[in-house]
Amino acid sequence: MKNHRFRTIVPFLFLLAFLVGCGQQAPQQNDSGVKSHVSQLDTILKRGVIKVGFDTFKPWAMKDKSGKYIGFEIEVAERLAKDMGVKVEFVPTKWSGIIPALLTGKFDIIIGGMSITPQRNLKVNFSLPYEYTGMSVIASKKLASGRTLASEFNNPATTIAVRLGTTAAEVTKNYLPNAKILFFDEESQTIQELLNERVHAVVASNPLPLNLAKEYPEQLYLPFKEDFTREPIAFGIKKGDHDYLNWLNNWVLVTSSTGWLKNRYEYWFYTNDWENQIQ
Amino acid sequence: MQNTSTKRKIRITPLDTTILVVLAGMFGFIAYKAATGLNYHWNWAVIPQFLIRYDTEAQSWVPGLLMHGLFTTIRLSLWSGLFAIILGTFVGLMRVSPRLFRRQLATTYVGLIRNTPPLVLIFVFYFFVGDQIMTLLHVNEAIYALSPEAQEVLGWFFGPMSRFSQFLSALVTLTLFEAAYIAEIVRAGIESIESGQWEAASGTGMSRTKAMMYVILPQAIQRMLPALAGQFISIIKDSTIVSVISIEELTFQAQQLMTTTYRSFEIWTLVLVMYFVLTFLCSMVVRKLELTLQREP
Repeated sequence: MKNHRFRTIVPFLFLLAFLVGCGQQAPQQNDSGVKSHVSQLDTILKRGVIKVGFDTFKPWAMKDKSGKYIGFEIEVAERLAKDMGVKVEFVPTKWSGIIPALLTGKFDIIIGGMSITPQRNLKVNFSLPYEYTGMSVIASKKLASGRTLASEFNNPATTIAVRLGTTAAEVTKNYLPNAKILFFDEESQTIQELLNERVHAVVASNPLPLNLAKEYPEQLYLPFKEDFTREPIAFGIKKGDHDYLNWLNNWVLVTSSTGWLKNRYEYWFYTNDWENQIQ
Repeated sequence: MQNTSTKRKIRITPLDTTILVVLAGMFGFIAYKAATGLNYHWNWAVIPQFLIRYDTEAQSWVPGLLMHGLFTTIRLSLWSGLFAIILGTFVGLMRVSPRLFRRQLATTYVGLIRNTPPLVLIFVFYFFVGDQIMTLLHVNEAIYALSPEAQEVLGWFFGPMSRFSQFLSALVTLTLFEAAYIAEIVRAGIESIESGQWEAASGTGMSRTKAMMYVILPQAIQRMLPALAGQFISIIKDSTIVSVISIEELTFQAQQLMTTTYRSFEIWTLVLVMYFVLTFLCSMVVRKLELTLQREP
């Protein structure tokens, strides 16, 4: 009987070895790809399709009523693909897993309102920033009325909800290190917590706090006039691909100089003309 | 049997009335609390368009976003249910095999899958194993080479072809996961058959394989059916988990909608009802099937 038990473990160990082996293979492939100088750009051109990774963030990228994606990032991606002469394919991906998905080749580029952070930059390469976004705080009137200073939120009695894996999470840790932070997978969950008066405030990138303050004027208010931060938003790609990065950088330069990016940003962030496309 | 069940009169006792009133009161209280206690602007008017909406371009009614999600859930459940039954039967037969090696292999598989959380399994498969297999089989290249007509036809069975490799990853993981449970159901079913049946079969000169096919399995399948049906309903519910790798099934679709519309409670409620209707219909169909099988011999 003892012998039997021991033998049952052997195939299990083989399987484990197989899994570990699979995990190690991926980076080796990446290395060889860089060494032989096959740029991802060439792969995209040959395929005729650029695969774009993003997650739903209002108004960066959203689904309209017919299931088509619309939003600032979607327009940027479509314009980028047009200038590249390829078709665009959208790959919606959960924000918390978006960098691993890029690194394992589920798509060619992240166009998803991703702001540059040193930690992210260790794993991916960023293009020049094509837009800037600011973090803001939206607070509950009932739980945190009348507060206008960051120090009033920076204490253990204050609870703040943020979306997991976003810069809002990092910003909150840096600016309000003493506050209690709750992490949620979706933006809608943080808003729910705030409206149900289980957290004092939510930190998120604009224009979400602005819109919420407008929708719930009796319950919510904006404690600070100015944004917390000004963060550069850039395209994220796999590391070590200079041809691809060069193309993207110059695309940002050219498109910014014609004013197209600014025009689209203002349309999506400062007007509500598109709202009837979603609800 | 049918006669007796239809002839039986339905009597409502005072106890039934009390229970019903208490239940209705509880639901009413919860609904009242949800409507008034929460600081939430209820807006049910925006919800129907996510189920069905009038398309001005096509000039007709078309399924809404959540219906598309439901179709993906159904596709995923049907395919993984089918493959899991095939693989599960195979593994289950290996579990009762007289050969030690086969038993070991099957036991390892079942042990490995049943003792790991499906969430972890899905991530491991999607990010490490799945990618290797997709590249090896040239799945992506094959899809791009397909003609638009072929893509449309295949899309009917597997969803949009552009997301096929993700769908495949989800399908394989779900199949592997569910097959482990089905294998145990098959094993239990076979082992529940009295040893006299085996002896009788071999007494008539049948080989082990023949005895299994003609004597044991037909009896075992009938015993396995309720458990298998339960497992299939489980598959429908377990399929929600593939939303973490961004398969556009019902749960993922709902989460995306909530992010853009902020109508969390209305959408979750609707999704709950949709899953319930789907699984409840399944259990009714299975019940019918069971009764038919019981009557046959």
